[in-house]
Amino acid sequence: MVTKTYEEINQRIRDGDAVVVTAEELVEIVRERGVEKAAKEVDVVTTGTFGAMCSSGAFLNFGHADPPIKLGGGEIYLNDVPAYSGLAAVDTYIGATAISTKKGIEYGGGHVIEDLVRGKEIVLKGKGYGTDCYPRREIETTLTINDINQAILVSPRNIYQRYVAATNSKNETLYTYMGTLLPNYGNVNFSGAGVLSPLHKDPNYETIGIGTRIFIGGAQGYIIGQGTQHAPGKAMGTAMVLGDLKKMDPKYVRGCTIHRYGTSVYLGIGIPIPLINERVAKTAALGEDEIKTNLLDYGVARRDRPILREVTYKELRSGTIEISGKEVPVSPLSSFKDAREIAAKLKKLIEKGEFLLNTPAELLPRDTVFKPMKHVAAVPVIKEIMTKPVITGLPDEPISHAAKIFAEKNFDHLPIADKTGKLVGIVTSWDVAIALSTKKKKLSEIMTKKVITASENDPVDAVARKLEQHGISGVPVVDAKGLVSGIITSEDISKLIGRRTR
Amino acid sequence: MTVKLLLKYSPVALDKPILAQVIRQTSAEINILHAELNATKGEILIGVEAPPVEIEKLIHLLKKNGIDAKKLERAVELDENSCLDCGACISLCPTGALRLEKDYSVKLDEDKCILCEVCVPACPVRAIKVTRL
Repeated sequence: MVTKTYEEINQRIRDGDAVVVTAEELVEIVRERGVEKAAKEVDVVTTGTFGAMCSSGAFLNFGHADPPIKLGGGEIYLNDVPAYSGLAAVDTYIGATAISTKKGIEYGGGHVIEDLVRGKEIVLKGKGYGTDCYPRREIETTLTINDINQAILVSPRNIYQRYVAATNSKNETLYTYMGTLLPNYGNVNFSGAGVLSPLHKDPNYETIGIGTRIFIGGAQGYIIGQGTQHAPGKAMGTAMVLGDLKKMDPKYVRGCTIHRYGTSVYLGIGIPIPLINERVAKTAALGEDEIKTNLLDYGVARRDRPILREVTYKELRSGTIEISGKEVPVSPLSSFKDAREIAAKLKKLIEKGEFLLNTPAELLPRDTVFKPMKHVAAVPVIKEIMTKPVITGLPDEPISHAAKIFAEKNFDHLPIADKTGKLVGIVTSWDVAIALSTKKKKLSEIMTKKVITASENDPVDAVARKLEQHGISGVPVVDAKGLVSGIITSEDISKLIGRRTR
Repeated sequence: MTVKLLLKYSPVALDKPILAQVIRQTSAEINILHAELNATKGEILIGVEAPPVEIEKLIHLLKKNGIDAKKLERAVELDENSCLDCGACISLCPTGALRLEKDYSVKLDEDKCILCEVCVPACPVRAIKVTRL
């Protein structure tokens, strides 16, 4: 068994003799010469990733104003984006997903961080409550990164080892943190650098730990611990990282807006993996055909989304994947081009002796799990509160039939189903009222054909959101076969909320 | 300059050789950039090199034959300095005008673009812009 120490590897880096390859290059080397030879010959493998990382942010220290103000306990806005004010007088934390009070998700914490790195002027507005030592109550000033004392990126969770791929079974477009998902399995989006993915190249966490020196945003930084939600047992490890914004390159720190979802920040991060033994060489050489993830249906608005199937990064990278006989186009959401560039840059830095490896003070844990949130009360699903059985009409029935039902039963919605029970439309009392002034006779002439529906297992909150978004007061519920199984109205939901608060 | 025309076929127009007839009646050079036809509807995007008078004549002839011909008076642009090469736009593009190159950079083929603008808000850094000509 080949083994190497950090000191031996660093000495070779200092002497300019270290053999450094990117993870992509290592895959080829191992395929050609085997793991043992690769472990002997190669000292360091470089990785890289460039993707949206929402759990990111930066600590800033402004220095004191005169007269001084205590922003801690008050309010802090940077370019109208709220920052955390639960620290000392002039410290703050700006998180990537905070959104502008003026521009909404078009501008957020991620953009503030990018603009700081770019050296742009940032408007600081703050309020304090006034104390004997901090008498001032308001401040408004402009500052750049050079005017502030510290600007340190500290992210509680970056560089997911891998991530799921997303698609959408519903018949409407979804706007998610996994991007725009077209209806009826119209596309697939995935994230992660696959063959270059930093944490997946040492999935047993034999070399990555507290103090590991990394490439972050174009500067050198560190891993400072396990990331939140670190779940290495499920190949979903994460890391908490630190880096100096003052030394970063805006190319690798980019604020972003995910359409109809929110703001975030794209970060470029690379980790060097020392080949301390053959086991590490073997995992660092995992190819994209060996790195798997699950394709999930984001059409189901639940925590545990259904897994459609397992896919490899190789399949995802090919540009299309097959879902029930259909070729579906695939988008990566993280840049493979930039991941490559980062791995190559890190390789060059190490070859030039400008980047030495740190022995971790403690390796990242291998046994943590990601638990779901403890709920006091379960959120009901639609089938628990919907009205059933539901009265439906046939397309050929006269309009007067609907009018009669509305009058007798005090309903406002009549789903129209064909003879097999399949939903084909919906008629509301409003449609009937309007029909009075026309010569239309049959329900099929006045029904809305593109019906917005709910599924039996949708959480009530998701359906309430749907009613609000479309400005409607009720939707038919369909089962897995597309048959009408009930109806849910805003009245049903109001009643439920009434019960909840009592 | 090439003018782009988006032709929308009504179901009745679908089974007639209209485009061929119209081409014979004008001197316009026509290049089919994208086409999607089935039993119930059809859409063809063409690029035309011709003087403005000829283009107006072409539109007139197409309309007379039941084809809704519309000049696309916008231009699409990908700002490569701002683009992250993430690829979020790729799977949304209905015509393959946006694609990943061999080196995984994102490229826009303006000829193939039908200006549906689905990609515009989906770009996380607003690198795709559509402007009126």
